[in-house]
Amino acid sequence: MSIHPGTAAKHKAPDSQAAANAPKVRRRSPTRVNPALYLFPLPAVAVIAFFLVMPTLQAFQYAITDWNGFSAAFNYVGLDNFIRAFTNDSLFTNALTNNLKFVLLVVIAQTFFSLILALLLTKNSRGSILLRALFFFPTILSSVSVAFIWKFIYDPNFGLANSVLRTVGVDGGAYLGNDAQALYWVAVTQVWFHSGQMMVVYIAGLQAIPRELYEAAEMDGANKWQQFKSITWPFVAPATSIVVAYTTVQSFKAFDLILGIAGNPPKSSLDILSTRIYSTFANSEFGYAAAQSIIFMAMIALVTWLQRRLLRLTPKGE
Amino acid sequence: MSQISRRQAMAILGALGFGATAAACAGPGGSTAPGGASGPAAPSTGAITGKVSFAHWRGEDKAVFDELIKRFVAKHDGMEIAQDISTSNDYNAQALQKLRGGSIGDAFATFRGAQFKNFTEAGIYTELKDSQAVKNYQKGLLSAGQNGDSQLGLPYQVVFPMPMANLDIFDKAGAETAPKNWDAFLGMCEKLASAGVIPISWPGGDVGNGGQLFNCMIANNAPVDDMCAQIEQGKLKCTDDWFIKMLNQYKDLTPFVQPNATGTAVEPAQNLFSQGKAAMLATGSYHLAAVRGLGAKFPIDLVFPNTTSDGNGKYEGAYNATFILGVNSASKNQAAAAAWIDFLSEPENAGYYANQTAQHVSVDKVEYTNPDLKRLSPWLQKKTALAARFQFNNLDVRNAVEASATAVISGTSPEQAAAAAQKIVDERL
Repeated sequence: MSIHPGTAAKHKAPDSQAAANAPKVRRRSPTRVNPALYLFPLPAVAVIAFFLVMPTLQAFQYAITDWNGFSAAFNYVGLDNFIRAFTNDSLFTNALTNNLKFVLLVVIAQTFFSLILALLLTKNSRGSILLRALFFFPTILSSVSVAFIWKFIYDPNFGLANSVLRTVGVDGGAYLGNDAQALYWVAVTQVWFHSGQMMVVYIAGLQAIPRELYEAAEMDGANKWQQFKSITWPFVAPATSIVVAYTTVQSFKAFDLILGIAGNPPKSSLDILSTRIYSTFANSEFGYAAAQSIIFMAMIALVTWLQRRLLRLTPKGE
Repeated sequence: MSQISRRQAMAILGALGFGATAAACAGPGGSTAPGGASGPAAPSTGAITGKVSFAHWRGEDKAVFDELIKRFVAKHDGMEIAQDISTSNDYNAQALQKLRGGSIGDAFATFRGAQFKNFTEAGIYTELKDSQAVKNYQKGLLSAGQNGDSQLGLPYQVVFPMPMANLDIFDKAGAETAPKNWDAFLGMCEKLASAGVIPISWPGGDVGNGGQLFNCMIANNAPVDDMCAQIEQGKLKCTDDWFIKMLNQYKDLTPFVQPNATGTAVEPAQNLFSQGKAAMLATGSYHLAAVRGLGAKFPIDLVFPNTTSDGNGKYEGAYNATFILGVNSASKNQAAAAAWIDFLSEPENAGYYANQTAQHVSVDKVEYTNPDLKRLSPWLQKKTALAARFQFNNLDVRNAVEASATAVISGTSPEQAAAAAQKIVDERL
């Protein structure tokens, strides 16, 4: 009588003798599989190839041409577009600088602001729940609506900001019309827009902290700061990793907000990489715009990778 | 069935990937060849029937075109016209790609300047030189649709990118509406300011609308008519004396525009004018309908900021034609599309369009019944310069050059602003 291999696998052999007597199961080589199985991922591979790989490869191809987007004729120019971006295009380097400044501003402000909100509103009281909903509310708005709301707030003639200031006898500014300040005001909008979402991430982290730890700390005489440093922060640190990574990518790609608030094309003090790429496409410089897109993609990848390397925030013990 | 190893399977997938790469690298250019050595052909002739797609960006004119379509269809059995309307930005960015296939835009509109040039180079236009339509236009207003000897498009609208004036405020302040020279213009602004209003409402926060004043400011300052084309080509420079002089004149305007003008979007600027808080709106006649819509009841005329010192300027104003009609060379129904363009170009239909949209048209013998258009009609006969800012084909150059004026209004010195603009121009040469 032969033992079914499946049965043999499920039951322990009663003793070593029985195990020795059991017929040897001929196992299929782990590296040999039925080729028909490889047909199953083909539809997914085809979709990915068509919608992801091909356009990406085409972008790489466009990036080394001087194609204008509509002409049948084009020349391969090698790395000229990439070199031009960094050596002979002050609009691109200006957009790059603006973008890095914007990312830095937003990441720092949004991380702190959302953490503070989460710390203040983590208790499940009725007031906290209402305030959480209020702070989360901007997140559900479309970025175009947000842009138009804030464009109105910042308007120097009819805007809310200057109207409020006028009631206390202060002359407001031009806000978006002031080249030195414009980027900061858009950063304020971006932080307002997304902090509620990040607050939720932090609240999830905070609510996972066992209450007993705080009780024990209080019994040991730890003050609030010591409790934050030794209990809260180690637990919410992984959430910070997520918040920073998400905020970085979001700020790099604040295209719709910038375009909505500053118009198209935005003036140079508000031009960021994504709006610059759009302007370059609209200017019928497809090859150059593709090169800028690749630089943009590489930058986001690099910054995200650096963050993962530098910001390994994990709870103690892990 | 024989079995394969993972390595072999990976090789097969790799080959598929290579195939995809090869397919991707087939070439960025499409299959439509541009132009043709013999130049554009006239629209094909045939029965006026079937479907026509009319592509444009003026959503605000949809109802007017719907009515005109009704009238056209009533004359031609079996005709159907669909409006394919995009926003102006989308139209700028995508229209060429859409039109090349010929599935939309049998008849279409084009912006003057870079878009007209791109469409021309892509061979999108048919030749309308010998069409019935072209005979209906004022000859002097057709140049924006010409390329060499060809009449590729018919500039339909005529707009005046000059400050609109609230005549009630001008009367009250005793300010003249036709200042003879720059000092007279500044004197006029002084009088308006003394009357307690903002002399000029200027949307400096809106690149497109804020830039329209540039057409007036440069017209009589530049040494040649194709000044912006020459700046783009490097033949003229923003750092030239005449350009710096123009920027200094912008600086002269600083006390007369609303506070924080560089942060003002177009809608608030329109509101200042419509509410009678500002005497002029420095955009153009294309905002007539908008300011009426905002409740402006006062009589409106146009004022040309005459930048000359002796009053002997070449031009008395500026005009533009942004809505250029064309027939798509890739269209399968060119005969019907051309018939639609002919229909729009008849004085009666052009008049209907003009009066309903509060826009002048280039079509001759049009009767303007709209009171604003009637009042502004004399400007059609004046010596006006074709708006210079649309000579720029490179939008980065255009924005940089115009931004120099905005920078001056916000406090940068004319020399610094000019140098910054010229840097961008030099990079694009």
